Amino acid sequence: MPLEGLKGKKALVTGAASGIGSSIVKRFRSEGVQVFATDIHQTGDLIVADLTDADHIEKLAAEVGTPDFVLNVAGGPVAPTRRNTLPDMPKASSVLEDIDELQWAAVIAANLTSAFLVCKQFAPRMKARKSGRIVNFASIAARRGSDRVGVHYAAAKGGIIALTKTLALELGPFGITVNAIAPGFIRTPRIAEANWGNVTQAFIDSLPLRRAGKPEDIAGVAAMLCSEAGGYVSGATIDVNGGLYFGP
Amino acid sequence: MKTAVVTGAAKPESIGREVAVRLSKEMNVVVLDLYDEGFASLPECKCIKCDVSDPSSVERIISGLDRVDVLVNCVGGSWEISKEDLRAGPRRGFRGLTNCSLEDWNTIRGANLDSVFYCCRAAAPLLKKQGGAIVNVASVAARKGIPPGAEGSSGPYAVAKAGVMGLTRQLALELGGFGVRVNCVAPGVIASGRLKKVQAVTPKGAGPEGPLKQIPMGRVGTVAETAALIVALCGDDTAYMTGVTVDINGASYAA
Repeated sequence: MPLEGLKGKKALVTGAASGIGSSIVKRFRSEGVQVFATDIHQTGDLIVADLTDADHIEKLAAEVGTPDFVLNVAGGPVAPTRRNTLPDMPKASSVLEDIDELQWAAVIAANLTSAFLVCKQFAPRMKARKSGRIVNFASIAARRGSDRVGVHYAAAKGGIIALTKTLALELGPFGITVNAIAPGFIRTPRIAEANWGNVTQAFIDSLPLRRAGKPEDIAGVAAMLCSEAGGYVSGATIDVNGGLYFGP
Repeated sequence: MKTAVVTGAAKPESIGREVAVRLSKEMNVVVLDLYDEGFASLPECKCIKCDVSDPSSVERIISGLDRVDVLVNCVGGSWEISKEDLRAGPRRGFRGLTNCSLEDWNTIRGANLDSVFYCCRAAAPLLKKQGGAIVNVASVAARKGIPPGAEGSSGPYAVAKAGVMGLTRQLALELGGFGVRVNCVAPGVIASGRLKKVQAVTPKGAGPEGPLKQIPMGRVGTVAETAALIVALCGDDTAYMTGVTVDINGASYAA
């Protein structure tokens, strides 16, 4: 069934250089959405921006204007920097002793502060227009905890859920919905390459849907939330994980 | 051609009706409902009169179908849910767990929870053949209960709908390996025909919607939005979701 209400709209997608972000860009463009794609990593026609820096976001806004949809995909368990914009995924699980204060701060900034700053820039523009959809990216790490990604990433993504709920309350009166997607194990090219956490076939077979997720699985749910189907959904965190965790 | 079964789709301006109409654009739709006056308005569907809280009727009808790819369980409510009260209108007064009759408990649980169990069980063998999707309809009442004094809903309804969420998770585990996804939506206050009937008899602000300003989005949801979400949960956009309840309540309750 085709999704209604996407065609002709304008979207901003962050973290668009690879994986889930790039899949969302592709899907939204195929729906006739005008997509502004940004990433700290330069590739293709992306707008390069460091979303931990409010000045960069202001410049981004000058280019984008007022989007109908903001998809805050940027983030990950390893924080990119302007010098190393596409860092390798960790090869092994991160435990508390592995994470120093600088890594903690960098991962919180890349995953949580970035979403805060992007919302702070674009939500007032949506408010003025009395409509808009914001889709943030949480993680199964925030929903059930994680034995893989480290406490910094899980905590940042937990922050995303709280930010989502709070902005849903704040922006609801202005006709703006704010939701989060909490992906489970999604086999993006970078994660597959790193064989991150040594995900085994036994783990995949233990999932109710018996497969790893694909970036397109997340893009479909993002499109749904921005379509007619998401019109009255707000404050929600949608678990997309093949049945690994059902949410509250 | 694929086949969908939709229960509770015959009442005017109901979520189920809108789901059936939308699904009928892509597949055969079989509607199961007691309210046969509504069948004439669904010419695109095969409508069968059925009390889905009766397991033998459900089993007989569903097992007689050639195939089932999609099952949407929309039947429910706290009134107009049994043969006896099908046209009775909303019951007045607050019905909580401590003051409802045992008959209320059984009827409301039967329509809202047992019916979903019976339909899923009957459809499971057909769904497992080629894979598919089940979507159940719970309620925000399952999350937050019905506050004492509120009319138009009931305590047993809140409990039965919580049961629907649990049933969704259990079936997701049992059917996932067969390519059958099982999800749920939990609507807040939706501008259905049922809501209009309640609003017609309750004082302003005492109906199930309460004061509108308590809903952050400042409005009730539409049948179209709710049906669109249910239909999306039937399709490939949500192919990696199972066991999940999606709340659709205008930000009035974030789970």
